[in-house]
Amino acid sequence: MTSPKSRKLTIPPQSHLAKLLDTKQVLLCVGCGGVGKTTTSAALALAAARAGKRVLCLTIDPAKRLANSLGLEHMTREETLVSPEIFARAGVPVDGSLTVMMLDTKRTFDEIVIRHASSQKAREAILNNKIYQYVSTSLAGTQEYMAMEKLQALREAGTYDLIVLDTPPTANALDFLDAPERMVEAIDSPAMRWFVQAFTGKSVSLGLLGKGSQLVLKAVGKITGAAFLDQLAGFIAAMNDLFGGFTERAKRVSEALRGPDVAFVLVTSPEPMAIEEINFFADRLREFAMPRDVYVVNRMHMPPAPLPGDLAGELVGCGLPADPAFQHAVQAAHHEATLLAQRDASHLERLRIDARDPTPVLRVPAFENDVHDVGALARVGEALIGHVAA
Amino acid sequence: MPTSTSRAPGSLGSNGLPSLDALRFIYVTGKGGVGKSTATAALARAMAARGRRVLVCMTNAKERMSGMLGSPPIGPEIVSAAPNIDAVNMEPRKCLEEYGVMILKVKALYKALFENRYVDSFFRAVPGLYEWSMLGKAWYHTTELLSGKTSDDVDAPYADGWKYETVIVDGPATGHGLDMLRVPRVLLDVAPAGPMRKEAERAWRLFQDPSHAGVVMVTLPEEMPANETLELAEGVREMNLPIPRLVVNGLLPPLFQHEQRGLLLARELPLGLTSAHARASREQIQEDALAKLATLKLPTSYLPFLVNQEPSSPQAILALAHHL
Ligand SMILES: Nc1ncnc2c1ncn2[C@@H]1O[C@H](COP(=O)(O)OP(=O)(O)OP(=O)(O)O)[C@@H](O)[C@H]1O
Ligand SMILES: Nc1ncnc2c1ncn2[C@@H]1O[C@H](COP(=O)(O)OP(=O)(O)OP(=O)(O)O)[C@@H](O)[C@H]1O
Ligand SMILES: [Mg+2]
Ligand SMILES: [Mg+2]
Repeated sequence: MTSPKSRKLTIPPQSHLAKLLDTKQVLLCVGCGGVGKTTTSAALALAAARAGKRVLCLTIDPAKRLANSLGLEHMTREETLVSPEIFARAGVPVDGSLTVMMLDTKRTFDEIVIRHASSQKAREAILNNKIYQYVSTSLAGTQEYMAMEKLQALREAGTYDLIVLDTPPTANALDFLDAPERMVEAIDSPAMRWFVQAFTGKSVSLGLLGKGSQLVLKAVGKITGAAFLDQLAGFIAAMNDLFGGFTERAKRVSEALRGPDVAFVLVTSPEPMAIEEINFFADRLREFAMPRDVYVVNRMHMPPAPLPGDLAGELVGCGLPADPAFQHAVQAAHHEATLLAQRDASHLERLRIDARDPTPVLRVPAFENDVHDVGALARVGEALIGHVAA
Repeated sequence: MPTSTSRAPGSLGSNGLPSLDALRFIYVTGKGGVGKSTATAALARAMAARGRRVLVCMTNAKERMSGMLGSPPIGPEIVSAAPNIDAVNMEPRKCLEEYGVMILKVKALYKALFENRYVDSFFRAVPGLYEWSMLGKAWYHTTELLSGKTSDDVDAPYADGWKYETVIVDGPATGHGLDMLRVPRVLLDVAPAGPMRKEAERAWRLFQDPSHAGVVMVTLPEEMPANETLELAEGVREMNLPIPRLVVNGLLPPLFQHEQRGLLLARELPLGLTSAHARASREQIQEDALAKLATLKLPTSYLPFLVNQEPSSPQAILALAHHL
């Protein structure tokens, strides 16, 4: 076991991470499902806190054991300061502070409704609307959008030096960038305005309506059922009233993502599919002239140390069986580990690095066990810094 | 006798598990990257080899299925992918258009609709509509008869038989993949009448019928995926949907026996033996995960972890099909 003292963390000033932590206020961890976004965000947040920052980690759907080991026993949705005792027990000294919070999409959405509804009646009407209930939990993009809303609110509050934002498990990492647009489309787009106006027969002055629109509406109604349109029109009208200029708001949220103090951490595993996806995402960022600050390749199989020359002798020395069958199993395990490491290394060559503007690549080894306690998070953080305390 | 009823529901397959072959509709789901598409391809191959006519429906995915089936690219039109297997990568917009044409019948009407400049973004923004357009299409294909007619009476003996005896949906990777399955129920809540509601009702009736439909859950034998699978199963059961099979993908053949594992894990080992320690640890985690999954008491298939073979190649898929 490492003694608590030896786990003090200093981040070498020339490391990539030091640069990020010095210049950025928001780290956004993106990547496709299951690659380790939540783990990476928590590890980055912890590393920054160890280096003296006041950090908030806004996580999405963390594994229960990880949440528990950070002291979030009741999976609360409030900002929760991780108690220094937890760090002391794990032998991980923290000079700054770490606050964690779990995003609750529905609740964030509800809060917006409650805050902005013009009357008690309007508020109830929305919260009880069946379409709203579906939208607030299941509509693609809602979770992403609400994460950004929350981020924005927390940033404005200014309590933290650094906010690390986890992102939801999308099939498609790009969904995250499009979330505000998709929300606008669902609530406040010209198409939706067209629909509500055509449906309620109001405001013909826009010149959008007329016979054509009525025909189209009839056709839509034939497909979905007129009663469904009725419900939908009610919902859209209520949301519109609520958000007023929702488009404006979404634009602000989306612009905030493009600020110079926001860093994109592109998380991937060595799986070809995950790499393909992160390449795609990087291309998209490039298109938008947005920075690609750092790649994290998580769960890399590292080449194993060579087997002892005298395997039988070493096994006996360790109090292990040394019969041929056992030796064979040990050799097979070593062979397999070598193969997996070779495979990961060759997959990693597919990561597209822009030669003119190379994005640094940080590797995190695949640990034997899942990462769900402070000690393990600290080790991930150390791997990210490329520095393990002596 | 149509082939669709030649295997009585409840019969056992060659692996001793209740056979999936009698099912008309299979929805494959699980967390991102656990091997849903791999399992879908292998299952399609297995059923096709036993003589079932299968349609594989991808849900607007990055298309990798053609590589697994060894077929030409699979797009939004149904193509023949392998013997007895047709496949399609459903695009919501196109599904909706097909549906519109079917319902509206009059060309002038559906042209007016789909050429309207707002309709596209309107449809995209209607909650659940895109999901339903895909799920509804997949369901529709379970009703097609070889004669070109349709029927949703799964028990009626048709002289000509079903066009597709089994439709397999490779569910989306997002979240738990349950959001899409939930849509027909939402439609039942919000659409009081109309064709969409009627279809949602018919589809939902089929989805809930354990002798003709089911959700196949795919998972990995690791701690967190196992935990999430328990939650997923709970969600599926809450919706009253049958789970005829759990597929545990990426199973490691153990190298060490139980006691040997214990010995390896009980000590600090020199650097040269860490690969053995790590392997023993993975085997232990797998054993624990399998024990946890066993509490679900579901008929379970195991697909081996492939190290020496490209796992998404047609050969690998055929090898995995033997386990289904
Ligand atoms: N380097 C690592 N070594 C071993 N296990 C790891 C490592 N990184 C992550 N894990 C484990 O992998 C699992 C998935 O990680 P995590 O939850 O961070 O992924 P995610 O990208 O947030 O997933 P999702 O897309 O579902 O939100 C967790 O059980 C975590 O403990
Ligand atoms: N049994 C196996 N052994 C080794 N590798 C496997 C196995 N099954 C799947 N893989 C690999 O794991 C990766 C994910 O598999 P697959 O695409 O089937 O998952 P998925 O659940 O459909 O993913 P997504 O959620 O992105 O749709 C692929 O690279 C695949 O080749
Ligand atoms: Mg996560
Ligand atoms: Mg897939």
